[in-house]
Amino acid sequence: MAIAVFIIAAAIAVLGGVGVVASHQPIRSVLSLVLVMLALSVIFLLLSAQFVFAVQVIVYAGAVMVLFLFVIALLGPARELARGRLRFQGWLSALFVLAMVALMWTMLQGVQYRQPDKADMSVFGTVQSIAVGLFTTYLYPFELTSILLLVAAIGAIYLSRKRIDDL
Amino acid sequence: MGTLSIGGSQLDSSWFLVLSAVLFGLGAMGVLVRRNPLVILISIELMLNAGNLALVTFARQLQNLDGQLFALMSMTVAAAEAVVGLAILVDIFRVRDAEDIDDLSELRG
Repeated sequence: MAIAVFIIAAAIAVLGGVGVVASHQPIRSVLSLVLVMLALSVIFLLLSAQFVFAVQVIVYAGAVMVLFLFVIALLGPARELARGRLRFQGWLSALFVLAMVALMWTMLQGVQYRQPDKADMSVFGTVQSIAVGLFTTYLYPFELTSILLLVAAIGAIYLSRKRIDDL
Repeated sequence: MGTLSIGGSQLDSSWFLVLSAVLFGLGAMGVLVRRNPLVILISIELMLNAGNLALVTFARQLQNLDGQLFALMSMTVAAAEAVVGLAILVDIFRVRDAEDIDDLSELRG
């Protein structure tokens, strides 16, 4: 059962990834990426990461992708012109991808994992266990991410403000 | 090799890692091949997602929650990156139409 779910979700994710790279209109790339993210959220559930699943659907597929869609709606449907400047780079990068996946595969054959920590799998990945880690061991990095988000918000406001000489 | 028992069936954690590698490779290919700056940002998001999948897989394999916590941190960084990148892009598009990333190469030395 879990194997079937994994195979279906992985196939959807890979097809969506191909759609991101291959589609000519940016809006189709964004919608393919939403597909990839929803498929990946199913895989997160398989890996018993419930909270990461919820954040993936709400923050990634919900917020970030809607931001991309808004920007595309704002800028208009810019089609990518087929210019002859990139002739062999497509094949070259496909070769690069194949070589990287083959390297990862051969590397994974000999991996020896250390003994698992024997965590309680009934609470693994729940909101409670995530919160305990986030507010005790990793409190300092967690607060730093809030500063990072603040800086990003200020930067976006600064970049998109109306210039004085535009008025 | 790490075997994960999920819902009664045995899955190997290297399957998840290979899926992550394939998605990362597709994202890298998008950055290399596509010329629309918006699509390049989308491909970067795809690569970040692939990295998150590897983090969550290792968290499950080692039964250690630190991987999931780091995946959450990386989602925050990805959101900040998308916001700033899109703001820069909108600012560029306000001045001129840059449908090719090669049109934005004035800063090249």
